[in-house]
Amino acid sequence: MSDDGNSVTPDGAEDGTVLQKPVDRRGALGMIAAGVATGVAAASACRPLNAATPEERELKVLEWQEFTQKHYRRMTDAERAETIRRIERLAKIRHDEDVTIATTDAQPGVVFGYAFNKSKCKGYRNCIEACINENNLDRASDTQYIRIFEMEDGLVNLEEADATYQHEVPAEGHFYLGTQCFQCADPPCVPVCPVGATWQEPDGIVVIDYNWCVGCRVCMAACPYWARRFNWAQPEVPLDEVNPNQHYLGNRARKKGCVEKCTFCIHRTRKGQLPACVEACPTGARVFGNLLDPDSEIRWVLANKNIFRLKEELATEPRFWYFSD
Amino acid sequence: MWTRLVNGVVCLAVVGIASGCVDEQHPERETAALAADTGLTDIDPAVAAFNAQRQPGELPVVQAAPVDRWAGPGARPFEVAVRTSKQEAGHPRRFGSITLETALRIRPVSQYPCTSCHFGRTVVMTDDRIDDAHQNIQPVHPEETGAVCSTCHLADNVERLALTQGAPVTLTESYRLCAQCHFQQAEAWAGGAHGKRLDGWQGRRVVMGCGDCHDPHSPAIQQRIPFRAPELERARTTHE
Repeated sequence: MSDDGNSVTPDGAEDGTVLQKPVDRRGALGMIAAGVATGVAAASACRPLNAATPEERELKVLEWQEFTQKHYRRMTDAERAETIRRIERLAKIRHDEDVTIATTDAQPGVVFGYAFNKSKCKGYRNCIEACINENNLDRASDTQYIRIFEMEDGLVNLEEADATYQHEVPAEGHFYLGTQCFQCADPPCVPVCPVGATWQEPDGIVVIDYNWCVGCRVCMAACPYWARRFNWAQPEVPLDEVNPNQHYLGNRARKKGCVEKCTFCIHRTRKGQLPACVEACPTGARVFGNLLDPDSEIRWVLANKNIFRLKEELATEPRFWYFSD
Repeated sequence: MWTRLVNGVVCLAVVGIASGCVDEQHPERETAALAADTGLTDIDPAVAAFNAQRQPGELPVVQAAPVDRWAGPGARPFEVAVRTSKQEAGHPRRFGSITLETALRIRPVSQYPCTSCHFGRTVVMTDDRIDDAHQNIQPVHPEETGAVCSTCHLADNVERLALTQGAPVTLTESYRLCAQCHFQQAEAWAGGAHGKRLDGWQGRRVVMGCGDCHDPHSPAIQQRIPFRAPELERARTTHE
């Protein structure tokens, strides 16, 4: 029985069951939808007999179930497992992709922090290249989580900065500043979401349930760092370039009309690996680690280097610091 | 000299047998195994012993010498990846469907091993005739600092590095030589602010050595064409 007391029975029965199975409102809707889908498939199958293959019928059912799935944080472990199986199966049916989707939770005692050495970055953009491929970013609209701004020495002015430079780097008299989602400790993008589709995880990563997102883009307006990206169309990744190592809250396939953003490579970092941008950086300008570990490199940087954060006066407390040699 | 002879002879003989094996009775086998893996000809037996337990695919490493002010975060010991003379010295890593070289210096060491010429007394290292054989090597530092070959290299063994204090070290511990002058960089490197950590934020801390990014004979960062620019034209025009 559901815990919110909103259980309904489509057939009006008092015992709250459909086919002797406890069900809540959402579950009932899903079951009805699945039934309708099967019916639709069956009806269409009637015209030329058996025109809908079993796979097409399965696809319709799965799509309806996906449409009616719960919020990620309200799923039980069993429901999560079922959701993952469904997404993996959908990827198989739709694109013949064998993907593995993790639901790895945050490690206890870990809050991620990031530091960027503005003296070391030379503007090669290898981080962007790695990010695009690691996170299955949309190739058609050229979605990129990271921006590298070329700036004149002595100025930190993002208005005057150029993120579209295309010449040999490092350019004389310039330095480079990278931005991405800063995973703020007080993220302004989270409370504005009207449906609660974005939230902060215990390890500090701000994540999005792509299936729950309604695409209103209010979070994008709230973010002072322009960190979020919107899918105006169905994202496209060439089949042979899909990274099959995925996370539900990270680099799995997004849908048209949902918002996405950098998750510090949640599928890697929760396993102890470095984010792709950190690992790909050829100059070692990026430092990543656990802020709660006093013996971590990130803590050493924060304790021993001159650091600053972007738009610190907004008090969003980004967990992303800049430092220089 | 002992190590070099051992390497020369044993390297070919026991590569197949010794790689991956731990044999405390035969340190020369560990040395030979590491030599075969890395392509280095001069390996400190202590370094070879430290790498004896290495699993296939793991990087050969050197335990960073505990030098004053290099303790690093929490005074934890850390390890320095050995730069090999092979092509994979660029530390290629896979991101989705692509593989990128993640170190700045991706070309193998040129004209290595040094012993192919500087063996025995056939070619003696001199400080004033560098252009004869090493046209590609420019004086590392401006001439006013007075750096010559023997400032870093041991005069009678080019593959050993001459520290100002203590015994000469092999090329795998080049960070000790660099740190003698670049002590600020060395401190930041040990702390984690300079250089780069490999293979994860958790667990063993393995960092790149100085030579992974900086060509010792041309340490300045080179210019190159970056990865393609993002298409931000729409955003730009809406703003103007």
